[in-house]
Amino acid sequence: MAGSTFWRSKSVRGIVLQGGFLALIAAVVIGATLTARDTLAAQGLTSGFGFLRKATGWEMNFSLLPTTTSDPYWWYLLMGLMNTLFMGLVGLTGASVLGLIVGLMRSGRNPAARLLGTLYIELFRNLPLILQLFFWYAMANALPAPRQSLEIGGALVNARGIYLPGLAIGPGTVALALLAVASGACLAVWVLAARRFRRMEPQGQRRLSLAALGAGLALAAVTVLAGHEPGTAWTSWPALAGLKVDGGFRIQPEVYALAIAIMTYGAAYVGEIVRGGFKAVGRGQMEAAAALGLSPWQVFSRVRMPLAFRAMLPILINQYVWLIKATTLGIAVGFSDFFMVIASSINHSGQTFEFIAILMGGFLLINFSLAAVLNRLNRAIALKGHQTTGVQ
Amino acid sequence: MDLTAPAIEITGLDKFYGSFHALKGIDLCVAKGEKVVICGPSGSGKSTLIRCINQLEEHDSGAIRVFGTALDDSLASLDEIRREVGMVFQQFNLFPHMTVLENCTLAPMLVRKTARAEAEAIAMRYLEKVRIPDQAQKYPGQLSGGQQQRVAIARALCMQPEILLFDEPTSALDPEMIAEVLDVMVTLAQEGMTMVCVTHEMGFARKVADRVIFMDKGEIVEEAAPEAFFTAPRSERTRLFLSQVLGH
Repeated sequence: MAGSTFWRSKSVRGIVLQGGFLALIAAVVIGATLTARDTLAAQGLTSGFGFLRKATGWEMNFSLLPTTTSDPYWWYLLMGLMNTLFMGLVGLTGASVLGLIVGLMRSGRNPAARLLGTLYIELFRNLPLILQLFFWYAMANALPAPRQSLEIGGALVNARGIYLPGLAIGPGTVALALLAVASGACLAVWVLAARRFRRMEPQGQRRLSLAALGAGLALAAVTVLAGHEPGTAWTSWPALAGLKVDGGFRIQPEVYALAIAIMTYGAAYVGEIVRGGFKAVGRGQMEAAAALGLSPWQVFSRVRMPLAFRAMLPILINQYVWLIKATTLGIAVGFSDFFMVIASSINHSGQTFEFIAILMGGFLLINFSLAAVLNRLNRAIALKGHQTTGVQ
Repeated sequence: MDLTAPAIEITGLDKFYGSFHALKGIDLCVAKGEKVVICGPSGSGKSTLIRCINQLEEHDSGAIRVFGTALDDSLASLDEIRREVGMVFQQFNLFPHMTVLENCTLAPMLVRKTARAEAEAIAMRYLEKVRIPDQAQKYPGQLSGGQQQRVAIARALCMQPEILLFDEPTSALDPEMIAEVLDVMVTLAQEGMTMVCVTHEMGFARKVADRVIFMDKGEIVEEAAPEAFFTAPRSERTRLFLSQVLGH
């Protein structure tokens, strides 16, 4: 019975099965590549990435840094990727803040707040995202024409967009200044939260955190000062000029409609995750904190929130990755995200395979990085000695 | 706070859960330094009673005074009382995201505004008292049940309270760990801490209690010195209860 005992060995079976599986995948990939190459050659198409340096010849309606029709594809792709990241950042931040509020309302004691939270979640969770996006976009387009612009504290609102008063500096400078502020804020949060600062006195820790925030703001101020053209006005106010609006900082309808849709839709899901997180915190720990004399806010900020956050994070990671992918719906209203730039590029250049590869690579990169960072955070804050929270 | 007044003075305390009358006009006075053990069948209201003292449960009528400070609707009186009344729970309720040392220093730093170095020195002193100073940098999840309960006692002591409440501190422990927790409680009792313990450890009651109280159906049925309580209980209900706890 030598043959049957050979097959009964777990390790032999494992090696054979996994080897066979790998060989099958390799055969499929190699076969697909060869077929694609032959078909492309037969149609007279050349593959490769040389086209990335060619000018696009079409316009991008929204980008964080300036674009012109003579810019090459790689620059457009980069701007599209930045737009996706920008929308992801705005959408995730908004969804998290709004979701925290909704989740707290749902887990609170006030029946009116609970009802409001429940209504919110049932409404925004049960309608398809694309429907909500069209709704917000239709609302944005239903605003009055530029000549009848609504004026709200110096800002102009009309069907062409929201025009905010801004600093008269270039977009690159704005990006750098925002980067400085964001870095300062991240550093400040890190000082407050990271394990290596836990041994400090609370007052000193708060001071160091504020210093980091201040340094970020100071750096931003210096950037703005350096980026400002001497002799010109400091601020730019939107003003009606004929049929259009001049000056100010314009937010296009497709940008804010998509941002609102992602935020409100995402908040419904985040809200439920937040509620689940708070539910997972045992009453005992909060009672112990209260019995020690901590104020309700201290109980919340030192015990309830940190423990709830640990319960939320693994599910939040999933939701965030999902929301980033949902930004691709922007194509329905004409927001030039990474997906839309790729789609337009395919239309104009015909390099389908290469662009699909870049698209997949781009989203893999974004979502893999996001998940990796958050998983690292999840491991860092995992409760030590508790198997259920996944300490390796 | 008036340390010459009785430590705890409860008069006519009533508590309802919906229509269920959990505490029926309880009167109880605990002197400073006194050790009181409360026992009784489950559902008799003994945990509810001590949880009313630091207002983890709100009572419906009656008065509670701690060292002369009356518990009224003001948050100030509640803060004052919670600072002086420590509590140890059946389920330990340590903060699992903090080290043992951080568990012990949190409240002194936040509530008493003690500087970190001093709070840590106090914490180490009490961790030594409960015989686990070497576990200070560990997390609660890495400790045994008995060790966790001793940390919980140290955490309560770090606020340097005048009174300690124990809510079935050994009920969630394996038999071999009960002794290490009781040892710590006996030491505290001998040092003169005012203690109110809800427990079924009758050996502990015999050894350290000044008074044993038997509760049933939301009422104090009997209270007596341990000797009298265990040898000559007056009430039939007490006798029945004692025969059930001590009978085997």
